Amino acid sequence: MFKKYICSICGHVYDEALGDPDSGLAPGTLFEDIPEDWICPDCGSDKSTYSLIED
Amino acid sequence: MTSPTIPVELIAPLFSPQSFADPQFIDVMMREVREKYPLAIAQVPGFAPHWIVSKWADLREITRQDEIFHSNENSKTLVTEAGQQMIYDYTGGKPNVLETLVHMDPPVHGKYRAVAAPQFMPGPIAAREEQVRGIARKYIDKLIAHAPEVDFAAEIAFYYPLEVIMTLTGAPPEDLHKILQMAQWFFNYADPDLKRPDFDPTDPVQVVKTWTMVLEFFNEYGNKIIADRRACPKDDIATILANAKIDGCPMSESSLGSYFLILGTAGHDTTAASTATAMWILAEQPELLARLKAQPEDIPKFIEEVVRWATPVKHFIRTAARDYQLRGQTIKKGDRLYLSYVSANRDEEVFSDPFTFNIDRPANKQQIAFGYGAHMCIGQHLAKMELRVFWQELLPRLDWVTLAGTPKVAMSELVPGPKSVPIRFSAK
Repeated sequence: MFKKYICSICGHVYDEALGDPDSGLAPGTLFEDIPEDWICPDCGSDKSTYSLIED
Repeated sequence: MTSPTIPVELIAPLFSPQSFADPQFIDVMMREVREKYPLAIAQVPGFAPHWIVSKWADLREITRQDEIFHSNENSKTLVTEAGQQMIYDYTGGKPNVLETLVHMDPPVHGKYRAVAAPQFMPGPIAAREEQVRGIARKYIDKLIAHAPEVDFAAEIAFYYPLEVIMTLTGAPPEDLHKILQMAQWFFNYADPDLKRPDFDPTDPVQVVKTWTMVLEFFNEYGNKIIADRRACPKDDIATILANAKIDGCPMSESSLGSYFLILGTAGHDTTAASTATAMWILAEQPELLARLKAQPEDIPKFIEEVVRWATPVKHFIRTAARDYQLRGQTIKKGDRLYLSYVSANRDEEVFSDPFTFNIDRPANKQQIAFGYGAHMCIGQHLAKMELRVFWQELLPRLDWVTLAGTPKVAMSELVPGPKSVPIRFSAK
């Protein structure tokens, strides 16, 4: 089951089901598989600023 | 290799609050700067040299690297060299009079931002929407009571966002006017209509007196509310601040005062500028008003373009913590950089036809008025929500609107929003 993660700086939500095609992340890309140099598409913060959205 | 410099006669107006009363003048000037001097040094008499950063991509590159481009090494906003010395003298050696989130560097910034940031995420802000909608309706009723003419900026736009942020904070509504006055005295010190009465910005004694009055007001004000919330917690931001810990300790009195100051100033004057700008645009573009009344689903796109158009915060200053290569130039350690957000939001490489107000522009999600990186505006979701809600409530009731006079923009090099938008209108 896909999960969602939120950027603690700007609130951008990374939805594994949707990926982030604009930055080359295909739908279904798991958060743990995102390259470490990927940045938030809205505020440019590092991947480390994201946290899991608990259901 | 010597660094490129911008002719003083071209760039000097950027260093004057008076220039920003004419937004079109700034647009024309910065268009030439982007074209001829996209990253170059300004050496304006009375000021330290500043790199003028005018391109959208450069602003993004700089502002996402807080470890390299510091906020608290020199004044975060433009000051003369004499003004910087006054700040050092006043603060006992600190580069900024204020100690808000805006003025902090990592790792301190992250710790303080984390105190309030969860309250400003999209989910918690959405939960406040009905509360904000009620405030919007109150101000729309007030607007309609003024029909057929009103100064929309002075009567509505100054107060609506202020009441929203103060309500969420937990401040008593009867204090709004005083908070507005303090914010204007501090940030609109150069505007004859908004500055402290009889204030002379060239008189250092007067400058220090204003700083002291504003800081003491917010420190006393904030700490009075904090004391109340520690005794009697409520569902508001003040309660969160009152019980917050930084490295295991409660926030200091000055830190709490700064938090109230940033909420009471940056939390409203930027949105006030966007609110007033939105009305100004609709008063000049009846076809756009008709479209939004017929297609309210376009209001979010309208808001996004309003924020780009207004770009309420015109600049911030950063200081390089080490040498850095940017756009073929070497930024030296210690160099100051003037980040022109209004220029970045007119950058032709990102925004086609940037001087046309176009709610359909594909790149309008790229506008940088809220900043970028870890300092990105903590209140951006609140700002967009309160703007959206206001127009969702007003448009069905607004039949038509025109300008009833010439709008005026405040003289400020930092947040020069409209201070007067006289309108004639019909509403029900």
